[in-house]
Amino acid sequence: MIRRFVLASVATMAFAGLGSLTLMGAPAPQKAAKSSARASRSSAPPAQTSITVDGVKDIDPDKAVGSRNAPIVMEVFTDFQCPACKQLYLTTLQRVTDNYADNGKIYIVHRDFPLPMHAYSRIAASYARAACHIDNVKCQAVETALFDNQEKWEINGDVKGTVAAALTPADMKKVQALVDSGALEPLIDRDKQIGQAVPVTQTPTSVLHTKDGQTYPVVGYVSYDVLKTLLDQLVK
Amino acid sequence: MQSAPFNYRRLIIWLGRLLLGGIFLYAGFSKIALPNKFYWPLPMLKFSIAANLSNFGYQVASYKMLSPGGVNFVSHVLPFAEVALGLLLLIGWRLRIWATVVSLFMLMFLTVVTRAYLLHMDINCGCFATPEPVSLKKILEDSSMALLAILMTVFAYQEARKPHPWSAATAQQQPS
Repeated sequence: MIRRFVLASVATMAFAGLGSLTLMGAPAPQKAAKSSARASRSSAPPAQTSITVDGVKDIDPDKAVGSRNAPIVMEVFTDFQCPACKQLYLTTLQRVTDNYADNGKIYIVHRDFPLPMHAYSRIAASYARAACHIDNVKCQAVETALFDNQEKWEINGDVKGTVAAALTPADMKKVQALVDSGALEPLIDRDKQIGQAVPVTQTPTSVLHTKDGQTYPVVGYVSYDVLKTLLDQLVK
Repeated sequence: MQSAPFNYRRLIIWLGRLLLGGIFLYAGFSKIALPNKFYWPLPMLKFSIAANLSNFGYQVASYKMLSPGGVNFVSHVLPFAEVALGLLLLIGWRLRIWATVVSLFMLMFLTVVTRAYLLHMDINCGCFATPEPVSLKKILEDSSMALLAILMTVFAYQEARKPHPWSAATAQQQPS
């Protein structure tokens, strides 16, 4: 009896020791990206950074396009390092903006959803958001530059250089100051939380909201011609 | 009448039909009906299918092997072809023909995925609705499926040359 007790105790301690050795060899939790770390020390986000349109809350008006009175609100969750998001932005969204947002039929809200496996998507989102908070034209220029040159900066990590090439030195200085202050990081975190609540399972994901409260999540890349069929139906 | 004797070739054929038939059926279904799942009313169903095929078309285009017309053709035909092949394998009608077609498909998929991997293309496989990166794991999976498909096809032809065990047994029992 005593022998069995001793053997059982030794076996338990051996397994516990093996278990702890395994845990010690496990990869350490990833450190939060610098931009996220900055968020915890950052000052409060700028005022007027959150509006509600047709029940869609926490919209950053500087990252939205179109009329707030439009019958449809379209949230687009993207990651700047995601190739499908690039395709959606450069082909589909540009035409949706021209043909629907500019005509007051749709209010497009860009939401940042940086994926953890993309090393530079968070910093790209920070620069794009900072440009959007300065000027709408510069916002579009920076977003287009980031998506156009995605294959380059995703390898060399030169997000800053890509953004600088799209802005004047004076504007780049303002953008850099905003990025360095970390004041806009809580807005990116908020977009991420909103996406997780949808839930966004892959990027891009577009969520269309109608005035009568219907919600239509559209997952993945969708061509303009296909999306147009849905938009025309919802706009009626 | 006695039951058919155990035959490893028939076992492989059955395994191939069930596994590959099921996988092809799911692969085709997921490309058509996922990830967008608006199944009612009819206009929304049409949009959902169109959006899913558009998404699959983007994945085909990302391999950078076909012209826009070719991408359009493959994205609209391949999912339905996979569903049809899956059903035909499961039913077992004209097995030798469809097993051969499935083997050719699997070899084509394996070639395309291996090419993407060797070119270090950071793209999704496009095999199912869920995003799966092109990786060594995917190549090994496709290799196993291709091997199973080829074995199933070869054994199907070999078994077809032999009389069916039931008819052979019946012939033995009948008096000469």
